[in-house]
Amino acid sequence: MTKAMREPGLRTLGLGSVLDVFSRGRLPIKSEELIDRIFGKDAARRSLVISGANGMVGAGKAMQFGSRLLPFGVRVVALDFPGAPDGIGQQYPGLVGTFGRKTADQVMANIIRLTYDGAHLPAELRELNPAFLLEAIPEILEVKRSHYQIFRDAFPKIEIRSVTSGFPSSELGVGIAHPAFPHQINKVWEIVEPEPSAITHLLWALGLIPIPVGDHWSFVLDVLFCGLLHAGVSYHETSNMPYWKIDKWVRRILGPNPFRAHDVIGAKGANFLTWSCLHHLGQAYGELFTPTCELVAHKDAGTDWYPPNHFRPVVDWKLDSEEEEDLRCRILGPLFQMTSLMLQEGRATLPHMNAVGELCAQFRSGILAVARDMGPDAVRRQVLAYHARHPAAARSAWYPAVFDGMDHPEWQQLYVNAEHDGTVGVITLGRESYNSDVDAELNRAIDWLKKESIERVIVTGDFHLSTQMIGADTTEFYAALERAEEGLRVSRTWSQTARRLATEFEVSVGFVNGKRCLGGFLELLLHCRYLIAVESADLGMPEVTLPVVPGMEGCHWPFRKAPAQHWPKLLHLLLGGASLKARETIGWLVDATAPLDEAIPLVWAVASGGAHSLTERKVIARPLEGLPSEVSGLPAPDNPAAEAARRAIMENIRGSCGVTLAEALDRQAKQSADFMLSEPCRKGRIGSEYSKTMLI
Amino acid sequence: MKEAEFMFPGARIPYGTWGSSYFPAWQMSALAEVNIGQFAGEAMGRILAKRNVPKNRLDYLVIGSTVPWHWKFWNAPLVSSCLGRRLPGFHVECACATGLQATLAAAAEVEARAAEVVGVLTFDRTSDSPVGVFPERRAYQRTVPLADVWDNFGFDPATSGAMIATAGRAARKYKADRREVDELACYRNQQYFEARASGILDKVLVPLDLLSVQGRPLGRIDDDLGVGRLSLSEVRAMRELDTCITGGTQTHASDGMATLLVTSREKAKEISTRPEIDIRFVAKCELRTDPGMMPEAPALAVQKLLERCGLTMKDVAVVKNHNPFAVNDVIFGKILNYDWRQMNKTGCSLVWGHPQGPTLTRTMIEAFEEAVSLGGGYVLVFGCAAGDIGTSALFRVS
Repeated sequence: MTKAMREPGLRTLGLGSVLDVFSRGRLPIKSEELIDRIFGKDAARRSLVISGANGMVGAGKAMQFGSRLLPFGVRVVALDFPGAPDGIGQQYPGLVGTFGRKTADQVMANIIRLTYDGAHLPAELRELNPAFLLEAIPEILEVKRSHYQIFRDAFPKIEIRSVTSGFPSSELGVGIAHPAFPHQINKVWEIVEPEPSAITHLLWALGLIPIPVGDHWSFVLDVLFCGLLHAGVSYHETSNMPYWKIDKWVRRILGPNPFRAHDVIGAKGANFLTWSCLHHLGQAYGELFTPTCELVAHKDAGTDWYPPNHFRPVVDWKLDSEEEEDLRCRILGPLFQMTSLMLQEGRATLPHMNAVGELCAQFRSGILAVARDMGPDAVRRQVLAYHARHPAAARSAWYPAVFDGMDHPEWQQLYVNAEHDGTVGVITLGRESYNSDVDAELNRAIDWLKKESIERVIVTGDFHLSTQMIGADTTEFYAALERAEEGLRVSRTWSQTARRLATEFEVSVGFVNGKRCLGGFLELLLHCRYLIAVESADLGMPEVTLPVVPGMEGCHWPFRKAPAQHWPKLLHLLLGGASLKARETIGWLVDATAPLDEAIPLVWAVASGGAHSLTERKVIARPLEGLPSEVSGLPAPDNPAAEAARRAIMENIRGSCGVTLAEALDRQAKQSADFMLSEPCRKGRIGSEYSKTMLI
Repeated sequence: MKEAEFMFPGARIPYGTWGSSYFPAWQMSALAEVNIGQFAGEAMGRILAKRNVPKNRLDYLVIGSTVPWHWKFWNAPLVSSCLGRRLPGFHVECACATGLQATLAAAAEVEARAAEVVGVLTFDRTSDSPVGVFPERRAYQRTVPLADVWDNFGFDPATSGAMIATAGRAARKYKADRREVDELACYRNQQYFEARASGILDKVLVPLDLLSVQGRPLGRIDDDLGVGRLSLSEVRAMRELDTCITGGTQTHASDGMATLLVTSREKAKEISTRPEIDIRFVAKCELRTDPGMMPEAPALAVQKLLERCGLTMKDVAVVKNHNPFAVNDVIFGKILNYDWRQMNKTGCSLVWGHPQGPTLTRTMIEAFEEAVSLGGGYVLVFGCAAGDIGTSALFRVS
């Protein structure tokens, strides 16, 4: 029987657990089966209709589905009014950039553009026999309802999903599949339906991220997205601070730029949608959400929030500590209160609610991670302080008790979960970049498995929220740019966590199941006794390009495991910064690669003690000798910072490989931390981001 | 103390909702590099924030400036957009009397109940003033370029004289003594630095941070740059440019903005930082004196104002003026038989400079703060303006 720290994310989709995936040796569903089930087989293949296809959502999703459904021969019908501006054609350059001209042409050729008058469907649609309507028309309830009726009259069995950002399914009478901006590339869809349907499973199978949410006004994303703008506008109205500056503060506190985001999406449409969400939320939940006069004015006029280019601001707004506290209170207070409402209503599982903010609303850490970091009492104090400033908000939608359970696993394991069957455990990583929260949760997961007496473990992505592992969250390094001890702490702590995978289990198998595994995540998984990857995955150590010096033992650990003849390849990887396909790294970085459906049973065989041909590459504990002093074939660095980084990385490699394994951890941590203080690092990408984000 | 009637009984200046930038001397600060109208609008938002006044409380804006600025055609509505609020409004221009005239115009709006909370926003950038090219059929070139600040200072078309010449002429008429004028200039300088040290100007002046077009820090405006301590020996040694006029006894061009609000009695109580303080409009008076005699005009305007109100200088608690030339105050003392040491106690434009539009606004704000520190009373604000104008107004702070 499977036991888990908390509910596995896959189970919320009706797809079992990650342990099930490995123990059964296959993914729970396949896209081919789902395509056949939804669209029919072969010659009887039916089509997908996207209505409102020239709009921002419709056109983006036409590209996302168009490229994914092309191999299956599912036609995409783009339906809109005759006078609608061409939104599909505008997507073509982006499509070419992503897939190349040939595939882009094929995707576009597979999209059939039809127009209609809003009341009568075009005759050609009958021949295309649509099985699935994705409705992306304006947010007007009656218009949407009559639109569904037209389709149901013509195609009684058609599956319909609305992309609405605000109306509940119960109001619309159809399921919801609410996608996140930017629509061409964002994989997240908030799903509202009684049970996970074949459509939802298809989204998952196509590599998208469906997230089940409750049937409430505005779901999760728009409570956060619209709620944050609402908090910003409300603060503006009390403080006079210009929107652009509020954006900078909000970005510093939480990550998003709510006002810039509205302008980028298109202020006219985005302002209306935000107003609409807040208007309905206000009607349902009271003053906490009621749109302010400034938002109404921006909605009515459709104006941008930022000043025009010729009016770039000339007066800056520095805040004293009292003013800054007021701002934090007026931004975080309402946001925490809104979160309490969502928790009270159970709008999503906690990891999902948290992830929506990160994946769709630019939060550096999800709102629950932020709350957890502050602690329940501080969160409640923040809301009460907000109520003191805005008493009307205190009258409804405030549930302070929901923050009581922060020590429960659902709160404690927002990013990392662990499951086991009594013998084999799986640690699943549900965040694409490694940060201190992930590190702490990973330690708790390891502790839990050890307490459950599990000695064999697989470490991998969660097959849901994390479709790739892109390395360390570089915002974690901001403090290290100022203080050496902070860099040392991060490097040392994370390295110690990684070593637990090497030392605390009889068998540990790292599995790269997504598109790529880079930097800190690769360093982490390299600590597993075995490392297996999907053969097409990209593996790399891009630190040199930032530049930073790898500080999670990447400068010596792989050398201690790799035969000496492969050391030049490791040097290339570390000093060049370019990624390699996993299949090119067998024997010196990974132990095996295979297509996903073959890799899964292999991972299980190694983890569970089944038959396999892999031999564990032992870590050499003594100082290494014979490291090459020259690396041939490396392109010349294109700037002084890259040259300095190469030099520092090479020094770290020599230094940490030249001591014993026991000494190496501190040695490499110190060199990594020292480089963070250097000018190349402070003026590099992380330093620039730090200045832009934090030094406002 | 006698009681006067009020010219705008319904209008009030809410205490503590005002503020001014520092006035750095021309070409000395980052203010020389910005669109001053935009700067003023944005700075007003910041100042109101410091005073806990949401800009949404305003329903009208009177702006005042004298030096043309880019997009000036768009007037108060544009400046208000920079403030972050789309208000109606208009522009007032009356040379150095602009600040006072804009405030009086705002009071008239409130009195007429045309608006409830009127912002007064005055500003000017004398640095790099624009050069207009005017059609001029009497010139053989058929066009005349005119540098707004310096060409105007140098030539009054009505009298064919320069601004500085009016000071020399008035000094001669009133037999001003160079020694007294020098002493007055030094005394004013000393008053300013004492006021800075006392902290009273911190209630008036707001430091402001400027950004470049790239959004990077351009400079912090946190000082009346160009103002140094003067010694009597220094001033005495200065070359006389006209009778009693030296570099030390006249003001200098500067850049800046200043803002205050005018509203109803009820609203003033709501938005003032100290609602118990009541600032009311008593009377105003302007006159135009003889050609080329500008420095005597303010004193004559005050004389007429007091006569009309039935008051004397003894009834006035705070006396404060715009005095581009030290001889202004010497002449004022002679005409009003008043000890000039008793006026301009927190500083004056002779010392901190002369950006024209906001000069009298800052003067007024300083005067109100001084009156509050004294426990109230009549406040007399006056000054001269181009065209031999004298302007004066009386307020009562209680």
